[in-house]
Formats: sequence, C-alpha cells, structure tokens
Amino acid sequence: MANKEKGYLALVLHAHLPFIRHPEYEDFLEEDWFFEAMCETYIPLLDVYERLTAEGTDFRVTMSITPPLCNMMADDLLRERFRRYYSLRLELAEKEVIRNRNTGFYEVAKMYETKFRRIRELYEDYYHGRILDGFKKFQDMGKLEIITCGATHGFLPLELRREAVHAQIKLAADDYRKHFGRGPRGIWLAECAYNPGDDVFLKAQGIRFFFLETHGIIYGSPRPRYGVYAPVYCPSGVAAFGRDMESAQQVWSAETGYPGDSRYREFYRDLGYDLEYDYVKPYLHQDGVRRNIGMKYCKITGKVQLNEKAPYNPAEAREMAASHAGNFMFNRERQIEHLNGFLGRKPIVVSMYDAELYGHWWYEGVDFLEFLFKKLYHDQKTVKMVTPSEYLSIHPDNQVVQPSMSTWGDKGYNEVWLNGTNDWMYRHLHKLVERMVEMANKFPKADGILRRALNQCAREVVLGMSSDWAFLMTVGTAKSYSTKRFVAHTHRFNGLYEQVMGNRIEEGFLKDQEWRDNIFPEMDYRVFSTEEMEKASKS
Amino acid sequence: MTSSGQIKKDNSAPEAEHKALPEGYGTTEAALLPRDPNWMFIYWEITENSKNNTAREHGEDIFQKGRQVIRVYDMTEGAASKYFDIPVMLEAKSWYVNVQESGRAYCCEVGLVMPDGRFIGLVKTNTVNLPGGRVSDVTDEKWMAVTADFDRLLQLSGVEYIGKGSGEVAKSLAQRWEMLRAVFSRASSWGVTSMSSQTLQKPELQAKKFWLVADCELILYGATEPDAFVTVSGRKVNLNPDGTFSMRFALPDGIVDLPVKAVSKDETDSREIDIKVTRATTTDGK
Repeated sequence: MANKEKGYLALVLHAHLPFIRHPEYEDFLEEDWFFEAMCETYIPLLDVYERLTAEGTDFRVTMSITPPLCNMMADDLLRERFRRYYSLRLELAEKEVIRNRNTGFYEVAKMYETKFRRIRELYEDYYHGRILDGFKKFQDMGKLEIITCGATHGFLPLELRREAVHAQIKLAADDYRKHFGRGPRGIWLAECAYNPGDDVFLKAQGIRFFFLETHGIIYGSPRPRYGVYAPVYCPSGVAAFGRDMESAQQVWSAETGYPGDSRYREFYRDLGYDLEYDYVKPYLHQDGVRRNIGMKYCKITGKVQLNEKAPYNPAEAREMAASHAGNFMFNRERQIEHLNGFLGRKPIVVSMYDAELYGHWWYEGVDFLEFLFKKLYHDQKTVKMVTPSEYLSIHPDNQVVQPSMSTWGDKGYNEVWLNGTNDWMYRHLHKLVERMVEMANKFPKADGILRRALNQCAREVVLGMSSDWAFLMTVGTAKSYSTKRFVAHTHRFNGLYEQVMGNRIEEGFLKDQEWRDNIFPEMDYRVFSTEEMEKASKS
Repeated sequence: MTSSGQIKKDNSAPEAEHKALPEGYGTTEAALLPRDPNWMFIYWEITENSKNNTAREHGEDIFQKGRQVIRVYDMTEGAASKYFDIPVMLEAKSWYVNVQESGRAYCCEVGLVMPDGRFIGLVKTNTVNLPGGRVSDVTDEKWMAVTADFDRLLQLSGVEYIGKGSGEVAKSLAQRWEMLRAVFSRASSWGVTSMSSQTLQKPELQAKKFWLVADCELILYGATEPDAFVTVSGRKVNLNPDGTFSMRFALPDGIVDLPVKAVSKDETDSREIDIKVTRATTTDGK
C-alpha cells in the first residue's frame, strides 16, 4: 500500500502587518510591531524550516506574506532599523547573561542571547538582509506555499467599486511576481472577507484558491456535500477552502487552548518594566517611556499576581510544546480517521491561524510547530500534510458551490470593520476610490510628473484601504494612530487630486509624499481604470 | 496582526481626530453597505443645491410638510417589489438599517413622504445583497447527502462556532494586554524594583497542605482630549500624551466612590463619570 494516509492536513499561517514606516521620525514606536514579529515569528519560522530541511524532515506549510509585509521586509530603511533593533536586544541579552549568573534567571537570560545571535546569523549570513529570499527558497523546494493577499489587506466587501477590488488583487499579484519570481496560486482574502463574485478578479490573476471561514462554505449554495472537509469551486472555477474549527479551537480556546499552560512564557512580564530604569533606558525608545522590549523572564506560573510569577525554564517549556504537538497530532489522526469513514473520501482539514500567534503571542508556538512537523513526518501515517495546490492536483473533482458572504471576524460578518467607531471612514474611502478611478480613466497614458502624481495617488488610496485601520479602531488598540493614518492618507490623496485636476502639480509636495509612502515602488495607477477592471472580470 | 478583535460595547465612538476630514464632498450621493444578514449601513450627502432643485420642482414647503424617511426597497426580484420606511432626520447623514429578511437584495432611497402619501426621493443608493446567514435549501443532485448525514456534517464542521471569530485567546490576551498597558503607562508600583514579591504571601502552613489566598485591586482607566484637565476623586491625574490615563487602587471591602471629571483646556466644556465600586469579601473560615 503506497497510499496509506486517510486524509490531509493543510496548515495555513496568515502573516500580516500594516505598512508602517515613518522616515520622518528617527525612531517610531509602531515600527516595533514589525521588528517584534521579525524576531519572534518570521525569522524563527525560517529557522525551523532550515533545521527541518537540514535533518531531512519533509513538511508542508502554506503562508501568506502580505504585500505590505513583503514591502516592509524589502525596504532599505526598515532593514537598517531592524538591524539596530536586534543589535540592541543582543547587546542587552549579553549583559544580562553576566548579570544573572548564579540566579534563577540564568537559563532564560542565556536563551535570549542564543536567540538573538541566531537571528543575527540567519538575517546576515544566511539571507544577507533579504529574508524574502529565505521564504522563496523553501517555496522553490515545494515545502512552503506562499500565498498573497489584497495589496494592502483591503476589506473587499465594503468597497463600492469593482475597480477597487480589481486593483487590490492585481497589485498584489504583480508584487508577488516581483518578490517570488512567479505568479501567486493562492490568496488570503483579508479577514477572510468574501463577497460573492469577487473571485472573478482572483481568476483573472491566475489565482486558483482562497480561504474562507467555516460558514462561508457551509452556508454556501447548493449545500456543500463534504462541509469544510473538501474545497468547493466557485462558479468562476476558483477553489475555496473552509476553515476547520476543531483544530482552530484546540489552539485558540481561552479555557483549553495550549498557550495558557503554566509552564509557558508569561507575555506580560517584560524586562522593559522589570529592569532598573537607568540600566534599561538605552533599550527603550527615545522618549524613555517604559514599554515591552520583548524579553521576558517569567512563566505563566498559574493564577498568581504578576509579581509572583516564577522564573521561566526554557527546557521545561520546550517539553510542554512537544507534548502539545503530540496531542494536536493525536487529535488530527482521530478526526481524520473519523471523517474518512463518515465522508467516504479523504478529508482535508484546513487549520488556519494568524502567523503572529506563533512566537509573538504564544512564545513556544514556533517550537510547537517544529515538533508537530517532525511528529507528523516520523510518527504516523494517517495524516498527510499538503499544500492547497497539491491537494487540488490530487483531487481536481470538487463540487461547484457559491460560498456565502462571510469573514473570520467577531460575529462572522462585517461588523468589526463597520460599526460606530469606524463607519465614518467609508464616505471618504469611497470618494478616494471614485476620484482615483476618475483620474485613471481620464489619463490613460500619463507620463512625467503627472504619471508620478497619479501613481502616488494610487499608493495613498491603497494605504487608506487597509482593513487594519478600521480593525484597530474597533479593538481600541492604537485607535489614535490608526485614525491619524487614515486621515493622513485621505488628506495626501485629496491634496494630490486637487493638484492633478487643477493641472498644477507641486513637485516638492509630490516628492515628500513619495518619500513617506513608498509602498509599491513599481505602482502603475492604471490598475484603477474601469477598462482594466472590465477586462479582468471578463477574462 | 491578529484578526479576532471583539466588538466592545464600551468602545463605540470614533476618535475625535476624524473631524479633520471634510463633512461632505459637495455632491448629492448615498451608499449602502452590508454589515451582516440583517443589518446594513447607509450614508448620504444631500447638498443645499439639490434640496433647492427638489423644492422648486415639488413645492417650496415640502421639507416642512414631508416626513423624512429612508425607504428600503426589496430588490431581490429585480425591480422594487416591496418597501418599508424608516423615519430619520436628513441631518443624520448615516444610519443602520435593520431588515427582517436575510438573504435578499436591498436598496435605499432617502426622501420625503408627503401628507397625501406621495414619495419624493432625494438620493438613492446602490443595491446590496445580504447573506442568508443559514444553511441553503438548495441541494445538488450530483453531490447529494442524506439530511441526517448533513446535520452531522454541520456539527463536525463546527457550526456551533460560527461568528466566534478566530479566537478567544486572542481576545482575552488583547484585553488583558490593554488593561496592563493602561496600568503600566503610569510608573507602576512594582515595575522598577524588579521581581520583589509584594502583598500576597503564602500563609504559614499548619497541618493541612492545601491553601488559598486571593485578593483584588482596582484599575481605573479612561481617555479624553490630551490637553484636558482630569481629576479622580478631586485629585489631578496626569494624562499620557494620547489622552489616556489609568490608576491602580487598593480595594478594601466597602464602597469606593470614584468621581472622574474632565474639563476641556479652554474650560468651556466638561464631562463627568461617577464610578461606584462595592466589594464584599466572604471566606468559608477554614
């Protein structure tokens, strides 16, 4: 029996951060989101892929690396700033190893020193500051399937104009080609937000599949024969994979999820607050305010106050991650055996998570994944890991279903991105898009400074479309920053629009905007034209 | 970037800075957006110019005599087959529209209902197709499953989790994070002296090994304009640069009264919120 597996597991990690880059400041707080995720999630994941490959463990994983993230990873300024970030952390970690000799925190101090040295080694010696090349390497080996996402993680169901949907997808596909040397086969629709019919624009870019929250599939019409355990084809022919809730809950659930184990690292005890002020000050931002610096010495310990948390023991936590990986695998084996018998077909279980859960929120999450990959490869035969592309080539026979409008947000639809904190945005956002389309139609062949101005307008529109701004307003985190960003892009766009339509473009103003908002250096504003959109929707 | 933000009841207003944008664009237009199977959001702008034109056409007093409404049309069959009206003020400029029937197509028109029943439309929206929000009645001959099996399949697919978003952990983490961030943004009591254990001490153990200690503290937090003057129980509070503030109190048994007052920089406006907290601790005495 060559094919002993009873079903498939597709692990999908959605890696995304909004485009945050502020050359106008020497030091900018929100840029840390990117640097933290680099140190805690993106580079550690590459480290796992490197190690598994070196030791001959085969694995499959699907990862979105969204265009804003690609643009930040490839950006010279942010690369320099990231070097400064990890170098400071490494310097502190080295000091800490000495300070903590003969204390209960020695092991954890040592862990950070090793970790930041490895980050430096991978970032500099392996990838020469270009970590996208690292991800590309594993994609070219067939182990990692990198998928794209709307150009700026735009929330498509709340767009009025089809031109905006087309632009988000087309820009993403072009950006992907530039970074990874071929077109994207799959896409993560931002927030899993699906609006029936948008899939025609995916098809136009050669994208063959996307992902949906569970009810996007099971509320589809006609009834999906295999629930979320087989993909369906939209009427356009693009495949939609639905999320498996059982495996999602196993990791995420507040009561029973893995990350709450008492041996795991406590997120809320951070050296930024714990160390003597003068000692830690050089590692804080220039304003000198205590904040998290990403180095944490305690374990969750139990239901005790923060000041009663016990020292973190890296070896013990790693063992726990191995044990949780074993538990996760066991549950998938049983789930897949059961589904196989019930469905009479090999099921595919699609486990989707935010990538930043692993490493950033759940520090040991990356170890968990490494153990999971190893165990699935060495210790069992029931479950086979696949990428969606592989699955579709094994099983091209799938039901045609029109999926339902849905998102993976609270309550399952659009409310997270449309409520009293953020509904004021759409009036402006829609106006920006309308004006952009108007200009793209009016100037089919611009060149020189007009072309530059139109391209910059297109950058400001797409930056304004980011679903992150509405999201951050809803959760109340960084509400002020996200409001400022949306207002700023709207102002910059409207300023340029007046100049373009009044035929009085100010080069100085334009140059300043190009310097600030440099996402998509190869931007072509014509992506917003009605003609392009219509061509795509008929392809 | 985690995508599992929870919609919070206490966070319902936009950040004041959005007022930096124009209120309108000088064109009469309206748009309708889907929120969920039973709710839509409509916004509109009606210029003075177009109001004047309508008045010229239909009569100078129509805005006094007519009832201002959003007319919601069911467009599922193509043309507007059914409709209902929602009373509204034109100045509201936006509204959440509730519909009883999910899974249908709707379009709205803001306008006036005259005493004689005549409807004068002022601005019309696009059409929105709302999701059904339930399992489809349509089955597929080629891919048919028996009903009992389908119900079981729904359970296996996690139908009970629908709408829970991606993750209770992320939600609770995010909430906890926010709370702690608020606490720490003031120089926290234990932050500086690292890792010294404080109030809770394990009680001296006697014969029995099992034990329990528990206590609680109170965290008060809020936000206002960054340049406002804020007091809590009459004491001045230092605001963070973004206008947020937080304080951490011991919480003994009894009633704690915490009046929070903010006065605008120019002293022309003020807001007060009075928070009363009651603590009653009981133990089983063992």
